[in-house]
Amino acid sequence: MKRKVGRLLHSGVGLAVALLFLLPIYWIFTASLRQRGLPPPTGIEWWPSPATLENYPYIFNLLPMARYVRNSLLVVGTAVPITVFIASIAGFAMSQEDEVWRRRLLIASIVLLMVPGASVWLFRFQILRWLGLIDSLWALIAPAFAAGSPLYVLLFFWSYRRIPGEVFEAARLDGASAWVMWRQLARPLVRPTAVTIIILSFVMYWSDFVSPVLYIFRTDLYTLPIGLQLLKQLDPTNWPLLMAAAAVITLPVLVLFIFLQRYFLSDLSIASLMDQN
Amino acid sequence: MKPQQFTSTTESSKAKFPWKLPYKAQMRLFLLPYVLGTIVLVVIPAVATVLISFTEYKAVGAPRFVGLQNYRDLLGFGLVRTSLRNSAIFLLLAVPLRLLGALVLALLLQRKGRMFGSYRAAVYAPTIIPEAAYALLWLWIFNPVYGPLNLFLGWLGLPTPDWLIQPGTARLAIVILSCFQIGEGFVVLLAGLQSIPRSFYESAKVDGATWQQSFWQITLPLLSPWLMLLTFRDLIMSLQNTFTPSFIITYGGPYYATTFAPLLIYELAFDYMRLGLAAALLLLTYVLLGLIVLGILNAVGLGGSADEA
Repeated sequence: MKRKVGRLLHSGVGLAVALLFLLPIYWIFTASLRQRGLPPPTGIEWWPSPATLENYPYIFNLLPMARYVRNSLLVVGTAVPITVFIASIAGFAMSQEDEVWRRRLLIASIVLLMVPGASVWLFRFQILRWLGLIDSLWALIAPAFAAGSPLYVLLFFWSYRRIPGEVFEAARLDGASAWVMWRQLARPLVRPTAVTIIILSFVMYWSDFVSPVLYIFRTDLYTLPIGLQLLKQLDPTNWPLLMAAAAVITLPVLVLFIFLQRYFLSDLSIASLMDQN
Repeated sequence: MKPQQFTSTTESSKAKFPWKLPYKAQMRLFLLPYVLGTIVLVVIPAVATVLISFTEYKAVGAPRFVGLQNYRDLLGFGLVRTSLRNSAIFLLLAVPLRLLGALVLALLLQRKGRMFGSYRAAVYAPTIIPEAAYALLWLWIFNPVYGPLNLFLGWLGLPTPDWLIQPGTARLAIVILSCFQIGEGFVVLLAGLQSIPRSFYESAKVDGATWQQSFWQITLPLLSPWLMLLTFRDLIMSLQNTFTPSFIITYGGPYYATTFAPLLIYELAFDYMRLGLAAALLLLTYVLLGLIVLGILNAVGLGGSADEA
């Protein structure tokens, strides 16, 4: 009896915590439905009345939001596949390396995880300028050529390491190339990790606010996060409009997260692969 | 550029499909884009920043070596001290709160079952909200008159501070909003908890240990390497992550209360074009952080190894 009460209490507290953490997303969407120009509410408003969707077309007329969306999609659509590919082959190669090199790469990657973004701002700008990539969407895609983040390579490495060595031995005796091993044997076995990296890197490129601030000056190349900042400068207290813009940028990552989260968190796929390390 | 290089190699040897390159060399080729890309985009910029900090460099023209002059300039610059103090206050509050939050939530939600899977996803949800949207949301939440936070506090009969208008509460506001984006630490600690063998708890139970005892004797010691790693990463990343909120919500104000080191570095480099000075401030900030890390390592290093035995 006492145990049952305990379990119920545990579930109750869990639910309360979950609702608290869902509140930010709930508020972004409900606040975006409020009619513009109404006097501000005097109490917490859980659902605006009347609720309206007209703020959405309004912000698309106020600012070239459609172009910002297009630019953001171009960046993500190019950067995510490159990131996943480069991180995956690098992680695979790391898992196949001998002990000494594996250790070196592992330590280097973990050290790189600790390098703060600000330390590369100043000089990455110069390098991108020399490459002629300032004021080009390629400046925002560039990190993809370094696998996005060392974390992605490490996650792939850990999950490739879990594959028993026998899987590859027969293929190696047959003289299969590294490419065939990766593509036909290894890659299909780490699908949950690939999905995780897709989510993480999508969120990273889609949300990136700092890179366009630093590297993009042409207004027709602005991405959505810059669009939000512009809208805020235009009308800093028009909450329904600001929240509608926030909803536009949040919705794609939210949909992706909801559809793919069973790979990502529910079965603790990251967890189960990390403890094999 | 790098992937092209890589594919061109594949194509040239397509005729005889198993490459002539030895297997080991093929593996090195797989590592090439990652290693090269990281060197060009991370290692060279980071090293160059260190070198630039000893020069006068204004983005155009050649850098001029000035020795430690930038560091001397920094010490005489009041705003630098303010930004370092702000950063220290932020880290002192945010890092322990974020780690404690992630740990408590991981312990609470590690249970198996469908519902708990959804609860874990819910805790991760604020972490995926794009920074710019997240900043705008909190700008509204913290509005002193019609923001939901003050409406709620008023409804409870609690004091309703002016949040973003007063220096002290503005800094606190940035701490509070950082405490809801703890998905990464949460997932890592869940992984850490998963890696503790069930049998440890079972034998503790047989010995009649209470849950408090198993927490202090089993969970915490075995989780400590993970907590340590997260502490170091969070010291660096949570400071870095103040950039967007302090840029969008307060732009460093009021009275420079939310001018944290990354924002001042940005201003020095990209508004004033004093790249050498900005690099010096960056280095100073992270040397100070490094000293904190060494301090922590010294404080727990000995105790930690004794626990293992």
